Amino acid sequence: MQKSYQNHELHNIIQIDPKVCKGCDSCKSFCPADAIEGSYGATHSINDERCLQCGQCLVNCPFGSIQDTVDVVDDVIEKLQDGKSTVVAMVAPAVRVALGEAFGMEPGTLVTQKMYGALKKAGFKIMDVNFAADNTIMEEGTELVEKIQTYILNQPNEHNLGPLPQFTSCCPAWVRYVELYHPNLREHLSSAKSPQGMAGPVVKIYGAQEIWNVAPEDIYCVGIYPCTAKKFEASRPEFTAAADYWKKRGHSANYQDTDVVLTTRDLARLLKKLSIDIQTVEPADENDNPLAEYTGAGTIFGATGGVMEAALRTAYFVTTGQELSTLDYEPVRGLQQVKTANVPLRLKNNGPEIVLKVAVVHGTKNVEPLLKEVEQGISPYHFIEVMNCPGGCVNGGGQPINPMGTSWVGKFKAIFPWS
Amino acid sequence: MKYNYVEKAVQITRREFIGLAGVAAAALWTGAYAVTDLVEDRNKYIKMRMAGLYKDDEKQAVRQSHNNKSLMQMYGKLAGKPMSPLAEELFHTQYVNRMIS
Repeated sequence: MQKSYQNHELHNIIQIDPKVCKGCDSCKSFCPADAIEGSYGATHSINDERCLQCGQCLVNCPFGSIQDTVDVVDDVIEKLQDGKSTVVAMVAPAVRVALGEAFGMEPGTLVTQKMYGALKKAGFKIMDVNFAADNTIMEEGTELVEKIQTYILNQPNEHNLGPLPQFTSCCPAWVRYVELYHPNLREHLSSAKSPQGMAGPVVKIYGAQEIWNVAPEDIYCVGIYPCTAKKFEASRPEFTAAADYWKKRGHSANYQDTDVVLTTRDLARLLKKLSIDIQTVEPADENDNPLAEYTGAGTIFGATGGVMEAALRTAYFVTTGQELSTLDYEPVRGLQQVKTANVPLRLKNNGPEIVLKVAVVHGTKNVEPLLKEVEQGISPYHFIEVMNCPGGCVNGGGQPINPMGTSWVGKFKAIFPWS
Repeated sequence: MKYNYVEKAVQITRREFIGLAGVAAAALWTGAYAVTDLVEDRNKYIKMRMAGLYKDDEKQAVRQSHNNKSLMQMYGKLAGKPMSPLAEELFHTQYVNRMIS
């Protein structure tokens, strides 16, 4: 049997503890890949070959029986204290609106500066993944614009472009879903890497040379994501662009672009181990750090529709030569399962007007009808954003487990904190 | 008539019936409310976190990726422009077939 993992890829990240599982079947309704086995009332288990490692079952288990088994908190603390590594925290958009929850704050509290302060106090250098999200928009947006020019306007193009519609490739669980269940459609995925995929090379090449002046081998990249699937993605064997770049320039070491990944929960645990409290820590600005500069477009990557909105702001400018007059693009916001919009673009230099058709989907199960259309060649869309977790990364499988959700154990603890 | 057993008739007055029906309805109503509340709550924290990100967006002086000065500086020093040969090498990838046979 062919395995659904490449060599050295992390898997079996999400596991059910058979001693705690009550066989209640709740997790099955949240699993996008039908990967959970076991009948109602019997102990459940996860079929690793089918699993996307997204962790939706984990954050929604009423009994807290599902675990993220990849724990690198102590390894990171060791690196922070070894005195020779430059440990860079690459921190994702959705972390800053949920990290506070682990320290008793309201959901949605924006703690960017306190988070920077806490990370610095722990000994991290900071790279904001929002910067990499802007980078992703430049690559993915340019790819989309070139596809429009090639396939709609019939202009010549030097790049080897995939077909339309173009799917976003930021979500590692969604990418794995395509590779696993619809490999014939993988040409439709944007060839641009996810922000995590870009952040590593940025840190280990540009950061090493221009920002911190250290050897790339001494940089230890710690990705901090709201996501358990990012642990899997970071271990993809093709994500070694920085090492490959340096090998062509006289270096010889082998390393992944992102060395390890912490979830938001893991980061909270690490900070607590180091006795750092987000509530009381000294806030810090990173205004003098180029790799922490980000735009509003980068930060909304963490919500469903955000990648689309960010891409439209840039694609509009690139194709029409003008900035959008209103930046808030409401049709792609909100929690509707499938959102669609027609965006008219008046091309620059008195070009024709074209209508860009876009769709936004969250919850991978909801994408199947759109995939059927693509398979039959009748999809009306040019650009489709897919995020695996309902609501986007803000509700990712690595986020603090919120007692408002379906986790009854958490809810119980919120009412009776001494239990 | 020694062994003639007469079952005691269920005796419930109209008032008692209305009272019990009222209690039963209240119990069902509370249950239904609790369930819908749970579902609504589920969306609530997702919405609160989303609102946090949109607030961060509005706070930024610059809100479009192509206007990120440090990013453009990096392109100037490192990769030139998006989808240049070096950008393709560092920032693009291919996908694998993982179909389980």
